[in-house]
Order: sequence, then structure tokens, then C-alpha cells
Amino acid sequence: MMATSNAPKSKRKLPPCRVACPAGINVQGYIALLQQGKFKESVELIRKTMPFPAICGRVCFSPCQDACSRKNVDQPVGIRYLKRLASDIEREQGRISPVSIPKKHDEKVAIVGAGPAGLSCAYELAKLGYPVTVFERMHAPGGMMRYGIPDYRLQKYVVDNEIAYIRDLGVEIKTEVEFGKDITLDKLQKDGYKAVFIGIGAQTSQKLGVTGEDLKGVFPAVEFLRDISLGETTSVGERVAVIGGGNTAIDAARTSLRLGAREVLILYRRSQEEMPALPAEIEAAEEEGVQFHFMVAPKQIIGEGGKVKAVECLRMQLREPDQSGRKRPTPIQGSEHTYEVDSIIPAIGQLLEASCLPQAILDKSGRAIPADPMTLESSISGVFVGGDAVTGPASVIEAVGAGKRAAESIDRYLNGKDLKVGRDVETEETAWTKDWDKLTKKPERYTVSHVDVGRQKVSFKEADELLVKIRKLAMAEARRCLECGPCSECLGGEEMCEADKAVVDEALCTGCNVCAVNCPFSAIKKDERGVAAVDEELCKGCGICSASCPERAISMKKCADAQIMSSVMSALEREFV
Amino acid sequence: MIFKPKIIAFVCSWCLPPEVDITTPSLIRGYPKVRIVQVMCAGRIDPTIALETFLRGADGVLVVGCETPDCHYVEGNMQADRKVKMLKRLMALTGLDPERLRLEWASASSIETFAGIINAFRNQVASLGTSPLISKADSSILLNVSAAKAVVENFTLRVLAGREKGLTGDTNVYGERLSQKEFDNLMEETIEAEFIRHKIRLLTVGKPMSVKQIAAVAGMEPSLTLCHVVNMRRKGMITLDHVEGTTPFYKALEVG
Repeated sequence: MMATSNAPKSKRKLPPCRVACPAGINVQGYIALLQQGKFKESVELIRKTMPFPAICGRVCFSPCQDACSRKNVDQPVGIRYLKRLASDIEREQGRISPVSIPKKHDEKVAIVGAGPAGLSCAYELAKLGYPVTVFERMHAPGGMMRYGIPDYRLQKYVVDNEIAYIRDLGVEIKTEVEFGKDITLDKLQKDGYKAVFIGIGAQTSQKLGVTGEDLKGVFPAVEFLRDISLGETTSVGERVAVIGGGNTAIDAARTSLRLGAREVLILYRRSQEEMPALPAEIEAAEEEGVQFHFMVAPKQIIGEGGKVKAVECLRMQLREPDQSGRKRPTPIQGSEHTYEVDSIIPAIGQLLEASCLPQAILDKSGRAIPADPMTLESSISGVFVGGDAVTGPASVIEAVGAGKRAAESIDRYLNGKDLKVGRDVETEETAWTKDWDKLTKKPERYTVSHVDVGRQKVSFKEADELLVKIRKLAMAEARRCLECGPCSECLGGEEMCEADKAVVDEALCTGCNVCAVNCPFSAIKKDERGVAAVDEELCKGCGICSASCPERAISMKKCADAQIMSSVMSALEREFV
Repeated sequence: MIFKPKIIAFVCSWCLPPEVDITTPSLIRGYPKVRIVQVMCAGRIDPTIALETFLRGADGVLVVGCETPDCHYVEGNMQADRKVKMLKRLMALTGLDPERLRLEWASASSIETFAGIINAFRNQVASLGTSPLISKADSSILLNVSAAKAVVENFTLRVLAGREKGLTGDTNVYGERLSQKEFDNLMEETIEAEFIRHKIRLLTVGKPMSVKQIAAVAGMEPSLTLCHVVNMRRKGMITLDHVEGTTPFYKALEVG
């Protein structure tokens, strides 16, 4: 599923990375802080928009990177690795506990499901000062981040750390409470919860719909990965066939290798191009020896003595695209062939567990929850839904985006405000364009992803060990950022950043245009009166115009010539040793 | 006693190693001692600031910026390079050794590299000794440097320097472009002429002088001095004060 941008839009120009992020993280801002080696501050900045910097630094599909303007010059900035590195350094140095937020509201909010959507929603509401309780069915919070993503991609302690931060913020998380059984919507309302967010995810694997699916040795992917995460031992045998082409399929395949399977096949009914899994994940799986078979789909599972023996497949050919935009595979008659395997892991999709939900909230089919795409309000007033439960299996960052949107809706709902007014109506293209000729002078530089990260082959240890050693490299990588957005992206203001602004003394300006010629960012131009005018959003405060102005008509707000001279004078007055 | 040169280093905030504490004289134990003034970009250093720093008593001025392509402001480093080159030419005319000014690149450098750069410059300045502006070894130096400062404060040279990028980079409306060499020659001429004119102006502040007297003090041919005087009168830099016999005496006017 392609990410659609839920990022806040306004007439103010935003850098493409931020526009691309479903959670609207101001990427350029934290990259700017990383350039200066401010690792902790950059993580804090990410936390202003979402609670999972370390998790997303590991598993995000990073649409920001795909949108990065730097790709027009050479390669995009390695944003995801930078985020991960920053969060690693923060953990190493010790995280600062969040400042406790005074409870400004009395209305209690219940969140059902402690996955990325629910936790983000809780996080946002807690920051607004609402008392929030999260109910989770499993014994620990995290949802798919804990029970879906294998350890080698995302260690449990990372999830624990991020959730600890949310708890520190005052969010109460109650585990082993099952919705539909221990609690219901009615009970929550009776208990005084004024609004509810349901983010229960898509927790059931879709069935293949072929004969033999009930045989021993068929492990539906979601349940399989969950069992492994719970520490249960599952024997997959020597040869495993994973069916599907998404990230879950790759996760299941790589996990099978780690469980001791000698040969793991991925059977996918389209070609590699159409695979929804992340290219990096596909590459890693290939490196580990997973064999990919494209254009094949299972026809039936052949058993022997109640146990899987083989899977019979049909070759496919691709026809005109279907609604999802991908080419539609159709079977080639008479192309049956079999793969002898010990187990089969279907990973072709995930479904909502609708049985726990009240009938009133579901659509006619009884399998989906209809919700307003902007406000995420369900058909029941005061009940909001989001994440995989609505969209089908997607990504952490999209769930975070949904959680945030729902939190805003809940805040509006509880304050009796209109849920829609002023929200995301701006459709103006906000992406930034720049004078690329100027920038192509900057040649390609180190990419953190190029660094040999010592990938662990087949183990449950975290792959891609990123070391703090490469801190310097990370700062250099961050400096590859072209800063397509305005300077104030880091939201740091004056205390965070030394950025200065140019000011023109109009009485002195002769309109000679020297400043406009010399400004590297085209931030200063003659206005209609022929006097130099500074565009403060573009001005990055370097002071080149001030140093070049023939009439000395341009000064800097913070670092004027007089300030520099007074530093010089006080420096000269002191003793030189 | 060992000579401890007073060195001011203007360091771009993007290449200042994080270990450096700019508030204390010693950067880090065992490393050399200079005073660091942090600026956003090496291109921020107005030539006036550098000369003023010498006038205030510095023995050496170091400007540290980022090498291409690391400049955070894309080409601030090139701006710094142009300004320092211009200043060095001007300094050569004043008698203040241009070697007292240096531009160095230290993008994202380690503390050791950074200290190395500073050490090398400090040694060089130490070998040059106390600034003549302080030791008063040369009586004309104060006038010369003041004239140089007046040059970089005024429109003519600043506008030429500011146009370098445009003049040598793009073609003008007539499709012409200056080669770097042509521009450098133009720069050289302008620096010399401007320097002499500002020197003449400073000499005649409140003290009217004849062309011959000016030529003697400035060590120039009287005919060349006359050319400048005529030019300066036209520009409104000096004016006729009075005539003694048949000799006109000129005095400076406030510029601007």
C-alpha cells in the first residue's frame, strides 16, 4: 500500500521529506541538528512529532528518503540510518525523562490496542493533557512492533524503551485485557471514558483458499511470527515455502532460516518488480540464501499422513493492471509443478479480527470498519479507528500518522469543535524547487548505508549493527542535506541554532544588486522599489551579503559587525598564553 | 621572554570541532592558544573587520572555513577566499605583512587537524614578531592601514569585489565576460588607486597640503599625485582649501 501524505500542509513551503512522511516528521530539522552533532536534541525533535524514533530508524520504509531532493544530485540522504544512529546515541548517553504534563482535561480517553497507532494516539493525547488508558490483549504492549517484526530487525528492548517513554509521559497501559471479552464499548462508556480509539490492527493471516490448508506444517505468517516472538519453539523442518511477496513474507522466510531451515523458498505470483516488500529486505533475504520463485501461485497443498509433503503450483502470467495498479496474474493452464517442502507459511495478507467488534461499527460485509478518511471517526460518534484495522496491513509510520490524526479528532470532539474545519484542505503543491545547478557542485559524499555495517548472517541478533564509531560519518552524511526547506525547520529557535537573519537598512541601500548576486540561497532580491528585501524563510544567516554590501547597508540581526568587533576586542583584552 | 603572538581566529561554526571551548584561551590541554571568534561562515568576514582587528592590536588574523564542497552555505568559502586575497593585496601596500593574514580550510576536521592549522599559523606569526602597528617600528604604518581600512569601507572596491562572481561568471548584456586574469588586473589597479586616494584623503584631514607636500609624504611622483588629486576633487573626496602664492592647498572632505 502506497503511503499517502497526511502531513500537515500549509501555504508555507515544506521540504519534500516532511511532506512525504505520513507522520509529518520535520526531517530537515533533525538532520540540521545532526549536522552539528546534536544527537540528543535531534531525537527530542523527532519526539515532538512521534514517539518512535528508534523503531522507525530501524524498520521504517522511509518515504522521506524516496522524496529527498538530494536524489536529483546523486543519492538521497541516508535519513533512516541517521535517525537510528541518533536514537542509539541517545540511548547510550541516557535518555532525559519527559517533563510531566499537567492534566488539563478531565475527560478520560480509552485506546484499544497498544500498537503503533494506539500508542501514538495515546502519546499525542497525553501531551495535550488528557488522562489516557491503553488496553492491550497481549501480555506486553507494542502490537506488531513486538509480535510481528522479528528480533533481527527490531529488538524487543528498543520497543520497550520507546514504550517506557510513553509511560513516563503518564499514559496508563493495561495489558491482558481483551476487547470484546473483558471490555466492550458499553463498559468503557459506563466507566466514564468520553472517547475511544480502536487500533486493533489486522491480526489474522489471510487464507490461501486452497485444499490442504489445514494440514500440519502450514503456519500462517502472522501467527507464526507472533509465536516466535513469544518464545515458542516451532519446528519448520528442512525445506520451507513462504507464499507471498510482502514484508511479512520476507520476515517469515528469514525467520525460518534462523530456526534451522536449510532451504527457504519464497513463492510469489507476480514478478520481483511488483513485490511490495522493501528492496533492502529482499536484498538481505537473497544474501542469506532465500530462493525466490516468481510468477507462481499455489494450487493445492499435498499432504502425507496429515502433514505437509509438497505444494503444487501453477505458473502465472501478468495481464492488465487491477484496481491496486499492479499487473493482474492469471494462471497458465497445464503449468502445474510441485515443490517438496516440510512446511508452508502463507503470507498473502492480513485481515481484521472483526469478531471482537460491535456489529454497529462494521460495514455491511462485516469484515471492515468504515471511517472518515480525514477524521477517522467511525459510524459511532466518539469512537475513532485507525491503523491496520482500517487500512489493512501497512507500516509503522502510517499507523503513527493515523494515531496522530485520530488524536486531533478526539481533542476536537471532546472540546465540542468541528472535526473537519481547517484540516488538510490545502492541496497546493508544497514541494520545494531549487537552483539545482548551484547544488550540483556538491559531489557525492559518504552514505551511511554504504558503510559496511557487519550484517550478522543467520542469527536472531540485530542485523546491521550500527556503531557509534561512525558518529563523525553521520555528521558528514547529515551535511549532504540540501536544506530545501526553510531555516526554521528544526523548530529550535534561537537557543537551538545560531541561524541569523540579514536586515537591510533601506536608507543606505542603492539597489546595486550585489547582495542578490552573492546570496547562495537567492534569499535577497530587489523589491519593486529597487531596494533589497530579505526573504527570511530562505535566509540562512551566513552573512555573506553583509560582508559584500558595497554600501554596508546590510547587517545581521544577531551577529552584526559591531558584535563581531566587540568579541574581537574582548578577546584581545584577555591574556594570550 | 618568549613572544606570545596575539592571534584572533575567525572560525566558521560549521568547522569548529565540538571539543573546542571558545571561551577559554587554551583550546584543549596541550594545544595552542589563540582567541577564537565564532562566525556563521568564513564568508561573513567583512574585510573591514579583519583590518580593524589588526588596528586593535592583533599580531595575526586567521580565517577558518570549509573547503569546497563542504561549505554549508554552498559558496561562502569562495567568498572568503576572494576577500582574503583582496585583503592580502591591500596589506602588501601598507607595510603590514600579508603573511599575518591567512585563510585555512578545516571542514569537519578533528581537533588534532584543527590544532595543527592553528599551530602552523601561530608559528608563522611568531616568526614575524609583534605587529608593526603595536611596535610602531614604521611611522607610516598606522596611516597606511587606516587608509586600507577606509578603502574596504568604501563603495568603489566593495562593489567591484561584490561583482566578481557576476563579472567573471556570467556574461553581461553585451555578451561580454571578464577572464579571471582581466578581473585580477582590474582589481589590482583599483586597489592601488583607491589606496593612494584614501591615503591622500587621510593626510589632508584638517591639514591642507599642496600636491608637492603630499607627494613627498606619500613617496610618490608629484605628477601621479596630481592625477589622483584631480580625480579626488571630481569625486568630492577633497577640495581646494586655499592658495599660497600660486600653489593650491587641498583638504579632505567627509566621504559619503
